[in-house]
Amino acid sequence: MSGEEEENAAELKIGDVALILEHKYEQLQQMSEDPLNQVSQVFEKSLQYVKRFSRYKNPDAVRQVREILSRYQLAEFELCVLGNLCPETVEEAIAMVPSIKTKGRAHDDEAIEKMLNDLSLIKKFE
Amino acid sequence: MYLKVQLPWNVIIPAENLDAKGLMLQRSIIVRLMENFATRKATKDLGYFLAVTTLESIGEGRVRQHTGDVLFPVVFSCITFKLFRGEILEGVVHKVLKHGVFLRCGPVENIYLSYLKMPDYRYVPGENPVFLSDKLSKIEKEVVIRFIVIGTKWLEVEREFQALVSLEGDYLGPISQC
Repeated sequence: MSGEEEENAAELKIGDVALILEHKYEQLQQMSEDPLNQVSQVFEKSLQYVKRFSRYKNPDAVRQVREILSRYQLAEFELCVLGNLCPETVEEAIAMVPSIKTKGRAHDDEAIEKMLNDLSLIKKFE
Repeated sequence: MYLKVQLPWNVIIPAENLDAKGLMLQRSIIVRLMENFATRKATKDLGYFLAVTTLESIGEGRVRQHTGDVLFPVVFSCITFKLFRGEILEGVVHKVLKHGVFLRCGPVENIYLSYLKMPDYRYVPGENPVFLSDKLSKIEKEVVIRFIVIGTKWLEVEREFQALVSLEGDYLGPISQC
């Protein structure tokens, strides 16, 4: 990522966000009887979105995905896009994140294939 | 992209909420911070404000003259959501028009996919208008679409983002939900 304003920002995957928002929602539920009244629209819409689009539902799987992807010297941005979209083929992965194939980086098709395989394994055993 | 950001903010506690017991004060600072956070909604640089995750520190309070309110500098971490140009995302169609469709993606309601940016699709009018491709792939209401962001615009008055997206690229288009 290039913008200067995001210097102190770290990217998160949808799975991470789903965990945090759901936890937050539970906290609010304990505090009041009608939690939806307490939260902002932005929160509510985002919670719906991450619930629908999170590929991995269980917290351990979300952690494992981050761990596996972090072995491949990816930029945070690339890591998140791959973790969010879960491409199935090498070609699809390169279409989603063209930068993983750029010169000077150690990702040949084989390495990418292995990475995608590892990811699909997590999904299988979830 | 979701971002985890640490921010310094000022929280103003009205004089009547000040309490000798420290715990109550901390509570009202947190409550006030969360209210401010929710009403702020979004900023141009960081995108939509989703949730406060941790309150890192509360600084020394300063009494404001005239009102007697106390201003506390705080540092906290939060999650935000910002659309980036070139990012690939998934969203849900909520409106189909003759010249394109509107999508929703998390807190962003106005994501426009113009018919010019999906050349394979043709508009089919009717009670439930749809966009159809030669390969019979269908874009209608409530369909999930994977798209690439080609531009974003920040609306200062509404404190909202609008985005233009495209289906021109490999592996973009409607996806079946399993």
